[in-house]
Amino acid sequence: MTDATAPDGTRGRGAGGARGHGAEPEGLPDYVRGGRDGLGEAELAELERTWQSPPGFLAWFTHVNHTNIGRRFIITSLVFFALAGLLALAMRLQLAQPLNDVLGPEAYNQVMTVHGTAMMFLFAIPAMEGAAIYLAPLMVGARDMAFPRLNAFGYYVYLIGGTVFFLSLPFGLAPDAGWFNYVPLSSKEFSAGYGIDVWTTMITFIEVSALTAAVELIVTILKLRAPGMSLDRMPIFVWAVLVMSFMILFAMPSVIVASALLMMDRLVDTAFFDAALGGSPLLWQHLFWFFGHPEVYIILVPALGIVTSIVVTFTRRSVFGYAALVLAIVGIGMVSFGLWVHHMYTTGLPLMGRSFFMAASAMIAIPSGVQVYCWIATMWGARVRFATPMLFVLGFFAIFIAGGLTGVMVASVPFDRQVHDSYFVVAHFHYVLVGGSVFPLLAGLYYWFPKATGRMMSERAGRWSCGLVFVGFNLAFFPMHQLGLEGMPRRVYTYLPETGWTLLNQLATAGSAILALGFAITLANAALSLRRGAPAGDDPWDGPTLEWATTSPPLNCNFARQAVVQSGNPVWDRRRAEVSAHVGGLRTDRRETIVTTVLDARPHAVQVLPGPTPWPFVSALVASAAFLGLIFTPWAYVLGFFAAFVTFVLWFWPRRPWRED
Amino acid sequence: MEHRIEVDAAELSRFAPHDHPLWWGILGAVAIEAAVVANLLTSYFYLAAQAEAWPPDGVDPPALLWPTLVLFVLPLSSLTMWWAGKGSDAGRRRQLALGVTASVGLASLALVFRSIQIAEFDIRWDEHAYGSILWAVTGFHYTHVVSAIVGTAVVAVLAWRGYFTPERQLGVVVDTLYWYFVAGVFLPIYLVLYWAPRLL
Ligand code: HEM
Ligand SMILES: [Cu+2]
Repeated sequence: MTDATAPDGTRGRGAGGARGHGAEPEGLPDYVRGGRDGLGEAELAELERTWQSPPGFLAWFTHVNHTNIGRRFIITSLVFFALAGLLALAMRLQLAQPLNDVLGPEAYNQVMTVHGTAMMFLFAIPAMEGAAIYLAPLMVGARDMAFPRLNAFGYYVYLIGGTVFFLSLPFGLAPDAGWFNYVPLSSKEFSAGYGIDVWTTMITFIEVSALTAAVELIVTILKLRAPGMSLDRMPIFVWAVLVMSFMILFAMPSVIVASALLMMDRLVDTAFFDAALGGSPLLWQHLFWFFGHPEVYIILVPALGIVTSIVVTFTRRSVFGYAALVLAIVGIGMVSFGLWVHHMYTTGLPLMGRSFFMAASAMIAIPSGVQVYCWIATMWGARVRFATPMLFVLGFFAIFIAGGLTGVMVASVPFDRQVHDSYFVVAHFHYVLVGGSVFPLLAGLYYWFPKATGRMMSERAGRWSCGLVFVGFNLAFFPMHQLGLEGMPRRVYTYLPETGWTLLNQLATAGSAILALGFAITLANAALSLRRGAPAGDDPWDGPTLEWATTSPPLNCNFARQAVVQSGNPVWDRRRAEVSAHVGGLRTDRRETIVTTVLDARPHAVQVLPGPTPWPFVSALVASAAFLGLIFTPWAYVLGFFAAFVTFVLWFWPRRPWRED
Repeated sequence: MEHRIEVDAAELSRFAPHDHPLWWGILGAVAIEAAVVANLLTSYFYLAAQAEAWPPDGVDPPALLWPTLVLFVLPLSSLTMWWAGKGSDAGRRRQLALGVTASVGLASLALVFRSIQIAEFDIRWDEHAYGSILWAVTGFHYTHVVSAIVGTAVVAVLAWRGYFTPERQLGVVVDTLYWYFVAGVFLPIYLVLYWAPRLL
């Protein structure tokens, strides 16, 4: 192990909370004793001070380090997950009996819409982004991301947008037209009031944060990799993040355009979706699903990266078929843009169009299959360690493959026309979404928690949680396939006793209670382990990628000295050769990280990164006010534009002393 | 564990304005904006294809004079921007300051032309989907010209105050990149809004 031989005494470095806020500005913190990576103690201490995020409540709003921002993204998304999960329980409670009265029809519609929208936009995507923001810079060996302030800005946008969106529920202003918000139901004529406006403005707003994260991740991955980490040595997770980011870049604009057009229809009486005035309701569906289908893969692709990381570590083998896996991920990313129409089979499309999209939808099974085979081949004959992360990965395999199978079924036009808008579809997409995002995220949580906090999570609780989640999930959602085939429509707030759907619904409700218990165990496990978990050390799982080459939690500067890498498994190499190669010559009195070329990562410059600043927060506040104003008046657009501009100028205005070197 | 230094960063440039991560970031922003334009123009054609008459009967397509003038003024302003960048690279601060100021002036002129032309539109945004998309695309581009102008005005202020040097000119380089985009994206918009209804 690295830390057994290195004199850096990093084992068991304090638990999560205190670190990262850099507890002691003056005295030497323990973990710099003796220096690290060949960097002396005094220099490391200065470097750590330079990269410190200042402590204190007000200073919290100035933090820009990617570890801080990534952690916030993850925690916030988990809070939204819990809230949206409680809404799901309320719906399941309502459906446990025919003609139940837990939720009335209006309340059910709101709860269902907020659940679906929040799970997609406030949980799944931001959780993946958060994981990417936290991990990708560490994995590529960078000191921070390319635009740390933008990163902070994106977080506040997400936090404020998501909070406002959720608050609409207790205020009775929640949207109620479903997560895809179809017109004409969502037009002013059929949905008066502010609910839909909350949806359009806040979704547009939150997508801004997805877009900033995407640009940020792309540039960080392409330009800030450690010297020697050519593209073909990049960890698969980083590849997945790169593909996810490009997908966000090209998919999100559609939903932004769609919701902007709807906003205008509702606010200034334009007629984009008004058939009486030459508009087209189907235009909404096209724009929405051109985003909406890739969205599912935006969630899935980084999850595939998480799964691959874990499979590699827990088999202690390089991944089988690296090139095939990369091509498969890129292929999934590209093909997913050609499938959106399969959500619209029942809208009376021309036969030719339907057939084309049916073939395209079936095609996505090819790269997905390649991946599954690569994982199987990696595990084949290896001595797999079945720790909790690996158990969640196995759960992912089972559930995601089941969801994929029903996916191939609904991709075929005749079958889809039968089950469209029934509970079969609800079952299908929860299999892919929960299988494809929640299981990998939980696997990732157990896997990287020690890195982020310096403490291990309890294995025993982890196993219980995994088992309960797996059983509860299948009990909750498997019966829905049958309910759908029996004709139960989705989005109904109740059903009649004569339909004979009561038993299966009760099974589903019981399952969701078990599922919730499973999640609660992991939540408690994380909270308790933060203080009581066994100290993790630098590299508890014996992982191959660079995040395991630093302390747990990572240093303020990530790496005392940035690495120079020679293969795809730099940490394994180091240990074998008993040698680690580094970058020297970076200053310790300001934030510097090395910049390398896109393809083969030759060093060619140094980027000087900004430190803590409140401006991103101020900009985000102003932008939020503008977007909120858009719910009520179009003038908010003009006002917000100039107000935001002023804050951006203050943000970027060069501060003396100007740099001279 | 032995630690070796294999790359010495002490001598590497801390500036590299033409290949800075921020340059790549602006390229990302441009890609997003381009995707938005593509979505808007596709929606234009989608609505046109669904309509019985496009523009609706009794509505004239927008006049060609003003947008065609804009089509020439915007590239001209890009030229002055480019010239300013040359000056900046060579350390001629005056040329830089004059160039960016000229660009701001030319683009403001383009805004005047745009405004006259908008006032002459034959249809309001709330009368027909044709009017809606016409106004939306126009407003979108208008906003971009405004943001390019105000952003560049800030660069101009800094330039007159002598902030930029051949190394420290990242602001100029990325602002120019964005400027080219705003000028360039007008071409497809021009063809679609002003020629498509005449030719289709
Ligand atoms: C974890 C436990 C979960 C439970 C018990 C649950 C339960 C439900 C229920 C009962 C519905 C309403 C079905 C209807 O009335 O048509 C629903 C809809 C939905 N759920 Fe979940 N869900 C869970 C997790 C998730 C996750 C993790 C996601 C996404 C990442 C998700 C996304 C959605 C979406 C998009 C809808 C559709 C909303 C709409 O029809 O507009 N759910 N869920
Ligand atoms: Cu789809």
